[in-house]
Amino acid sequence: MHMRTILAIARKDALDVLLNKSTLTLLIMPIILSVLFVVVTDIFGSHKTEILVYNPGNSAVVQVVSGAFSDPQIVSASSPADVASAFGPDGSHKSSPYAVGLVIPANFDAALRQGGHPQMSLYINGDDVNMQQRQLLQSAIMNYSRVVANPSPPASINMATINPPAPTTIGQDLGTLYITTALLVSFMVSTSLVGSLLVEEKEKKTLRMLMVSPASFGDVVLGKLLVGVGYQLLLSLVVMVIEGGFMGQVPLVLFFVLCGACFSLSLGLLLGSIFQSSSAVGGVAGMVSIIYIIPGIFVGPLLQASQGNMAVQLIKILPSYYMADGIYNALVNKTVVSNALLDAIVILGCTAILLLASVWTLRRQASVVAAI
Amino acid sequence: METNDLMIEAVNLSRTFGNKKAVIDMSFSVPRGEIFGLLGPNGAGKTTTIRMLTGQIDPTAGHARVAGCDVVKERAMLKQRIGVVFEDQNLYERLSARYNLAFSCWLYGLPKRRVDEVLELVHLRDRAKEPIRTFSNGMKQRVMIARALLHKPPVLFLDEPARGLDPIAAREVRQTIDRLRQEGMTILLTTHLMEEADQLCQRVGFIINGRLVANDTPRNLKLSHGQRALVVTLDSVGDVTHNGTLQEVTLNMDDPYDQSRLAQWMAQEKVRAVHSREATLEDVFIEVAGIRPA
Repeated sequence: MHMRTILAIARKDALDVLLNKSTLTLLIMPIILSVLFVVVTDIFGSHKTEILVYNPGNSAVVQVVSGAFSDPQIVSASSPADVASAFGPDGSHKSSPYAVGLVIPANFDAALRQGGHPQMSLYINGDDVNMQQRQLLQSAIMNYSRVVANPSPPASINMATINPPAPTTIGQDLGTLYITTALLVSFMVSTSLVGSLLVEEKEKKTLRMLMVSPASFGDVVLGKLLVGVGYQLLLSLVVMVIEGGFMGQVPLVLFFVLCGACFSLSLGLLLGSIFQSSSAVGGVAGMVSIIYIIPGIFVGPLLQASQGNMAVQLIKILPSYYMADGIYNALVNKTVVSNALLDAIVILGCTAILLLASVWTLRRQASVVAAI
Repeated sequence: METNDLMIEAVNLSRTFGNKKAVIDMSFSVPRGEIFGLLGPNGAGKTTTIRMLTGQIDPTAGHARVAGCDVVKERAMLKQRIGVVFEDQNLYERLSARYNLAFSCWLYGLPKRRVDEVLELVHLRDRAKEPIRTFSNGMKQRVMIARALLHKPPVLFLDEPARGLDPIAAREVRQTIDRLRQEGMTILLTTHLMEEADQLCQRVGFIINGRLVANDTPRNLKLSHGQRALVVTLDSVGDVTHNGTLQEVTLNMDDPYDQSRLAQWMAQEKVRAVHSREATLEDVFIEVAGIRPA
């Protein structure tokens, strides 16, 4: 194995990918999909956050609360009872136009300055406000209290949540799922891309030329892996920028993106080494794409909801599940070291097996005159 | 001949694919600076032989050395010492001629100036920046020859070098090959064009069904296998077909009847001219193989 020949092949392919209309289209596809996800999220996810407030003392805490939302609309209530009736008791289920309700005592700010512990009521509609936003609200109110005075505890919040989100609600982290799915789609594209790069060497008989050059089959495979990883990382970064994916544990996200890229590219290389035509690779890559899509759907909350379901548990056989799991957990900041280690070992182990299998397949085909 | 002067040496080379014997006990050698032609119909085993000699596949029996390297045990060194021009035009069509050659330079770790040198050699420097897909077949063939020469290999393998080329392009390719031989390069070429082999090769071998059935210089093959004939130009005589006042007749020099006829015409002073007619390689091939070449 020679670095010089690996780099030569990668350099040649890097340009060839851009000059080839079909591979260029493949590269652009995940970007288009990401934009589509963003548009869909914007259409279905964007609406005014109505906040019902009883604030007889005109406390500035209302501005702090409304600042936690991108498009807030404050509605004034005439009494605490209005707010209470708009939401209902804690844990109840009720349709409400309001996302947040606030009942702020008339002397809230003054009581804080005097070192008192004024109590405000905070109503949350779980349909509109997720767990993270709820925590953010609490933290914002506490911070406000500290700014006004510095008591300990500064204020007490009596919180009630209606339509409380079940721990397994699907769609709670829709944005995170979109990012995970968009990344998985970009991996899917890489499988097809690098497979077609290798199979084209057979179709155009250029692999024969490489066979009599100093390049070994290992060099050919690794050269294509290298150029694939380069494009995949670039693609993933673009997708993450579009989807706002730089969240959670970013270095870990990038690590799992790299692992995922290596796995999907190795799978593509195996397909490219097995088949003799681009159409065959494209067809099989299309069928194989299901191994990316299913874990993309079931990773995270849906998987938790389906614990015990045999069919869903079977998904864990797929290496791509560990890819999705690693990325998702890193994005939502829930990575557990042992889990991340398992994910990485499974992905990298499968990658090594796939790479060895593709080199072996190419060598075997080369021993038959008509094969390559 | 000294063994050191043999640039290609195949000894009982055989290759089977399953039950099919593609090459059977093939032995031949090519000395330095010689062009050796392998002739035979499609499927005779020419390409399999080249693939074994270039280290692409292992022989199932026998052994071979090319440019001093064992084709199985010293494959890495072998790759540095051979150039191969393939039957198929296997270039990167979307890339320019220069980029195709630069890629090979990177593979072999050669300086970039070699690209310009070989482009000059095949007269393509002015088209170097254009994509290969815009090139004619002849130009593509010249790029492939340039690519095979980049690392200055002492042995060159050419698989059907003039296939699909127009007569002018084919002549240009033949001239390039001859120039390389004059520079001391050893060349093994396969072709189905007997005239091309006759013009270029110092020696030729005929492969039929995986076996090398003849191996000699074109002249010796023609002398040993071809029919000895004379073309005689005559004044009008009774037993020869008329064509104006002069007739041409081909006589077999080994046929007693033709010998007596010639003697008779000479005595009658009817003979205007006599030309010897040499057998062609195609005649030899047909006689040796019992079939017409592909």
